[in-house]
Amino acid sequence: MTNHFGDIVANSKLIMMVGANSAVANPIGFKHFLQAKDRGAKLIVVDPIFTRSAAKADIYVRIRPGTDIAFAYGLLHVIFKNGWEDKDFIDHRTYAMDQIRAEAAKWTPEEASNVSGASVAQILEVAELYAKTKPAAIAWSLGITQHSVGSSNTRILPILALVTGNAGKAGGGCQIIRGHDNVQGATDMANLADSLPGYYGLGKAAWEYYAKTWGVSLEYLQSRFHPELDAKGEHKWMHAKGFSLAKWWQGVLQEEKTHSSAPIRVLWVQGTGITSMSQQVKIKEAIDKLDMLVVAEPFVNEAAIITDRKDGIYILPAATQFECEGTLSATNRSAQWRTQVVEPLYESKADHEVMFAFAKKFGFYDEYVKGMKMRVEKGEVVQYKDDFVWPDDAVREIARTVKSIGLSGWTPERLRKHQANWHLFDPLTLKGHGEMEGEYYGLPWPCWDEKHPGSPVLYDVSKPVNEGGMGFRNRFGMEHNGVSQIADETVTLPGQKIKGGYPQLTKANIEKVLGITLSEEEKAQMGPSWAMDFSGIIQKYAREYGVCVYGNARARTIVWEFPDPVPVHREPIHSPRWDLVQKYPALPDQDNNFRVATRFISEQTKQDWSKEFPTIMTSMRLVNLSGAGMLERTSKYLSSITPEMFANIHPDLASKYGIEDKGMMWIHAPHGTKIKVRAHYNRSVTADRICMPYNFAGVMQGVDLSANYPEGTRPYTIGESSCTVVNYGFDPITQISEFNAGLCRVEKA
Amino acid sequence: MKKYRVLLSSLLLSMTSLYAISTGTYDDPLYGTAMLNAIPKYFAFGEVFTYLQREWFWKGFLIALFLVPVAGSIHYMIIGPKVFSHDGKKIFAFGLFMRIMHNLAALSFLVLVPTGFVMAFGDFFGGGTFVRVCKNLHGIATPVFAITVLPMIIAWIRDMIFNMDDVKWMMIVGGYLSKEKKPIPAGKFNAGQKAWFWIAMPGGILMILTGALMFFLNINLSPVATLFGVSQIDLLRISAIIHNVLGMVVATFFMVHVYMAAIAIKGAIHSMITGYKEEEEVAILHSSWYRKLKEEGKV
Amino acid sequence: MENINSRLKFYCDADRCIECFACVVACQNAHELPVGIARRKVVTLNDGVEGKETSISIACMHCSDAPCSQVCPVDCFYIREDGIVLHDKEKCIGCGYCLYACPFGAPQFPKDGVFGAKGAMDKCTMCAGGPLETNSEIERHTYGQNRISEGKVPVCAAMCSTNALMIGTSEKVSELYRTRVLARGESKEANNSYLWNVAYNKQSRKGLTQ
Ligand code: HEM
Ligand code: SF4
Ligand code: SF4
Ligand code: SF4
Repeated sequence: MTNHFGDIVANSKLIMMVGANSAVANPIGFKHFLQAKDRGAKLIVVDPIFTRSAAKADIYVRIRPGTDIAFAYGLLHVIFKNGWEDKDFIDHRTYAMDQIRAEAAKWTPEEASNVSGASVAQILEVAELYAKTKPAAIAWSLGITQHSVGSSNTRILPILALVTGNAGKAGGGCQIIRGHDNVQGATDMANLADSLPGYYGLGKAAWEYYAKTWGVSLEYLQSRFHPELDAKGEHKWMHAKGFSLAKWWQGVLQEEKTHSSAPIRVLWVQGTGITSMSQQVKIKEAIDKLDMLVVAEPFVNEAAIITDRKDGIYILPAATQFECEGTLSATNRSAQWRTQVVEPLYESKADHEVMFAFAKKFGFYDEYVKGMKMRVEKGEVVQYKDDFVWPDDAVREIARTVKSIGLSGWTPERLRKHQANWHLFDPLTLKGHGEMEGEYYGLPWPCWDEKHPGSPVLYDVSKPVNEGGMGFRNRFGMEHNGVSQIADETVTLPGQKIKGGYPQLTKANIEKVLGITLSEEEKAQMGPSWAMDFSGIIQKYAREYGVCVYGNARARTIVWEFPDPVPVHREPIHSPRWDLVQKYPALPDQDNNFRVATRFISEQTKQDWSKEFPTIMTSMRLVNLSGAGMLERTSKYLSSITPEMFANIHPDLASKYGIEDKGMMWIHAPHGTKIKVRAHYNRSVTADRICMPYNFAGVMQGVDLSANYPEGTRPYTIGESSCTVVNYGFDPITQISEFNAGLCRVEKA
Repeated sequence: MKKYRVLLSSLLLSMTSLYAISTGTYDDPLYGTAMLNAIPKYFAFGEVFTYLQREWFWKGFLIALFLVPVAGSIHYMIIGPKVFSHDGKKIFAFGLFMRIMHNLAALSFLVLVPTGFVMAFGDFFGGGTFVRVCKNLHGIATPVFAITVLPMIIAWIRDMIFNMDDVKWMMIVGGYLSKEKKPIPAGKFNAGQKAWFWIAMPGGILMILTGALMFFLNINLSPVATLFGVSQIDLLRISAIIHNVLGMVVATFFMVHVYMAAIAIKGAIHSMITGYKEEEEVAILHSSWYRKLKEEGKV
Repeated sequence: MENINSRLKFYCDADRCIECFACVVACQNAHELPVGIARRKVVTLNDGVEGKETSISIACMHCSDAPCSQVCPVDCFYIREDGIVLHDKEKCIGCGYCLYACPFGAPQFPKDGVFGAKGAMDKCTMCAGGPLETNSEIERHTYGQNRISEGKVPVCAAMCSTNALMIGTSEKVSELYRTRVLARGESKEANNSYLWNVAYNKQSRKGLTQ
């Protein structure tokens, strides 16, 4: 979230939810939208399904899955045509908007309607309402990201906010609603295959930086990798992205071309739902083929259930949140300290204990925990003690290291104090009172240093940087195609001692940008750039001059490194509209993303899939189950709410196939898999599509796997996983599966 | 053989009542959306039931409880029982199978009626274990009764059709208001017994059905409910009303029946034990039947 | 009779309720109810129908003139001074009459009697336990937690994710709801009126209010 929920309640006049069903995926978050609505804000919900959130909307727009970009361009077309855009904002703070304008010109409301299925009248109505109501927030979640055009989707919506000048405004902005506790934190800490924590990437400089903060040598880190060198003589696999959660199984099966030093032989699963990933049958085959599967979870992860293997599975009992202590990041980037409620029960261990034990056995425990015994002295990270305190020293390590998103101010002392005094914070502004005066609740990042109050609204230029303000980040160079990437001189924040935009601060430019002279000692201690400056001197000067270390730049609306610099509509890999596949084809196939080749256009045009698979298939979450549901389905109360896997189907579609309400049906996927589920007549779906929850597992292609659960661990409910039939299709950048726009054929069972 | 088939099928029928069929949907047929939709219609049966149960049912049961005993004792004192010779010849009236059926029914009624009263005056007994046990006995007795209904109907329905004799019988109230022993117009069953039959059998079936609805409460009864065009909760309310009102009637007639069989006609009850009636009793109280038997030379 | 406005009441704002089941599960879990018994239920009407879908959470409304208490053959109900309608499970025979009298379908019956017969009735206690010794183990076991005695809000309302479920004195609840309705504009009120009237004994309940 660029803003926070209290801000929505207090300030938003309009909230447009696209591909988000927060009423189900984040009910508490959704309360804030309803509160805003009670205050008079308008709620627009754009979704292929008439969701529980849609039921509360003032305007509901039903679009076809995978056509968000077409719909958004329809809005942009109308906005540009009528001159409703925020011209000042575009001129002063954005880059390359003309390219967006050019693309939008193609998307007449008629074409947008033809592609997306929203009516022309609705496109006109929403465009006008969204453009003219300020401030207006856009909210989204997995309905936007889980597509073969997911990364373009996530760019087109912020572009809407930029065009209308809603970015960086209280009550405006882009609200990505996370559906689980600490999803934000997990991402920030890079539970990802393509970056070190804090989005530092996998470049050599990043590894060097991390080697320093962990108190180990770069050579030591290199020695942990396969020794193969690349053409430049660099360690090949150290700087290459790993396999992603979406397609790791190809690392085992190697059916598509893979790029790795060896096939994957062991899978270690800790805190993730393998059964909520697409291509379940492939995942099963991969697990069957592994040498060993380790599952470290509080509940039996159904990764261990879907496989036929009889041995080589190790299930380690990990502790729940109540048995651990540490920080979490909320959806609005606020940190929250979590206290341990009980000691880990029975033989279960907290996640870090499991990892420590693992590290000890493998002989790298000392290096593994060394970072927690280090601190910065005169710009150098040095070991200052022989022991560490969990979790405080881990949090200190993060604060010392992760400067890229501004976690420097997150000391355990401050976060503990916030937890103890949460009653002193205003829920609408996040501002503290009394003892907490001058700080925002949870120090929403960026929190640049230990005096910084946190930043409740990102890119807000109405506040001084030292009080949570900032411009856009200067991340992509000084200029592109001869155009400056720096904000113009009108964008001067209060308290800023230099005028207008400026680049990100580095050792090389800080003297020039701020007009200062560094002492030799400072120069010696200072890191190469603000993000890698252990000494904190760059931030010290930034504070003094009221500037933001990451610069004050323009928001770029095009991403020149991406296959689609300008986000464009592309039909889903399995599209129900063969005519549109010709007009809006998928990207060329990829040879290597996250180490594996991925089919785009070749899969899309292999045949007219819609002939054999005429029904659109999309997935949804159930409010009582989350993720793969393995935790909630072990609760008798939660599972009794939805005792069975099902799919929502419109009575007209069902009767065409002779499927009765509450009768069983097969759902067949293009890649030859099928699941058997109960049909629920429901009018939230139209007759061209079905929708089903992704929270079940334990039954596969009609086969009950109950016998695979270790004694006493079978959840109260099991069911077919929708992921068995989720179609092939992945995003070109993030490789997330296309969970929400596929095709299928239903059949009476 | 036929008898046993009937018995078997009625047994099976009553057994089905033991299956509480779960509906398998998330929307409970009683408590779910249907209940919410029924709230605005509460003012129909909901309110009526509440009113009747609060104001009238207990009064009705009170009257039912005392009417027969009081009337019975007055009758006993003033007119007294009819005593027939037990030394005379006997006439075979009821086969073994029917005697078993009848006596099962009688037994179940001996449980159903008193326990029904205990429930109706549950507060008098202070609720709790005793009343709960009575309620359970009431429930257990029901299938027992249910088994007997079909055989009794099949065996007796032809003899239970009203005819001219019954009109005459009615006019003289079966002769029970006099001490004289003069032949009373009646076939195998007199008008009083016929009335009891018609109350106990269709009424009994209704009691079973309404009772069963209340017992099963929230199994899916939507076919029944739609048949009557009401929600399931209203179906239950109607059941409760019928069960109570009919219960009073059944209980009253049952007590009359018991009084007749066990007290007013000394030894009448033996016919349901041995199968034989006193010839004199038949000649007087069932004169038409007696004549018929004579004509057929069966006496 | 004491002031009717000071009685404790629930009200579920259907414009807020999103059928998240938090109230239901919070209640079941806090009181350790048998599966199948939900003192509070969430029901969605016209599921999936655009413009018509409404969700609502419903439990015992603790009626001012509690019809349930009027029909109980064993007289096991009692109404506390704060308006909470409670009953004595040791007396209850599970006859179901209270359910028939109840406008809201609040009373429920675990099928734990002989041959699956209805056991002692269970319904929302407004988290106020029952007639047994306050906060004793046996009270908790029989009636669930007694939060009211500890000055806590009923757990369902505390857990409601959208603040749809309100609990308080009738006066306070109406006031709160009225403010919301006013902010929304009057057109929205229709959504809720029938429940409101029944629970709060406005208008049409005259039949029962002598
Ligand atoms: C033909 C005779 C009768 C049959 C087959 C019958 C059957 C039943 C059944 C099956 C129930 C439901 C029991 C349960 O829910 O556990 C019931 C309930 C009840 N019956 Fe009867 N009954 C009969 C006669 C009577 C009579 C004569 C009375 C009153 C004197 C009576 C009073 C009641 C009452 C008060 C209830 C409600 C309590 C309850 O639901 O358990 N019944 N009956
Ligand atoms: S809602 Fe039902 S159970 Fe609750 S007090 Fe009212 S009548 Fe009684
Ligand atoms: S079920 Fe229990 S509380 Fe309800 S009316 Fe019957 S005896 Fe009373
Ligand atoms: S008040 Fe307590 S008992 Fe009643 S529904 Fe809420 S949580 Fe359950």
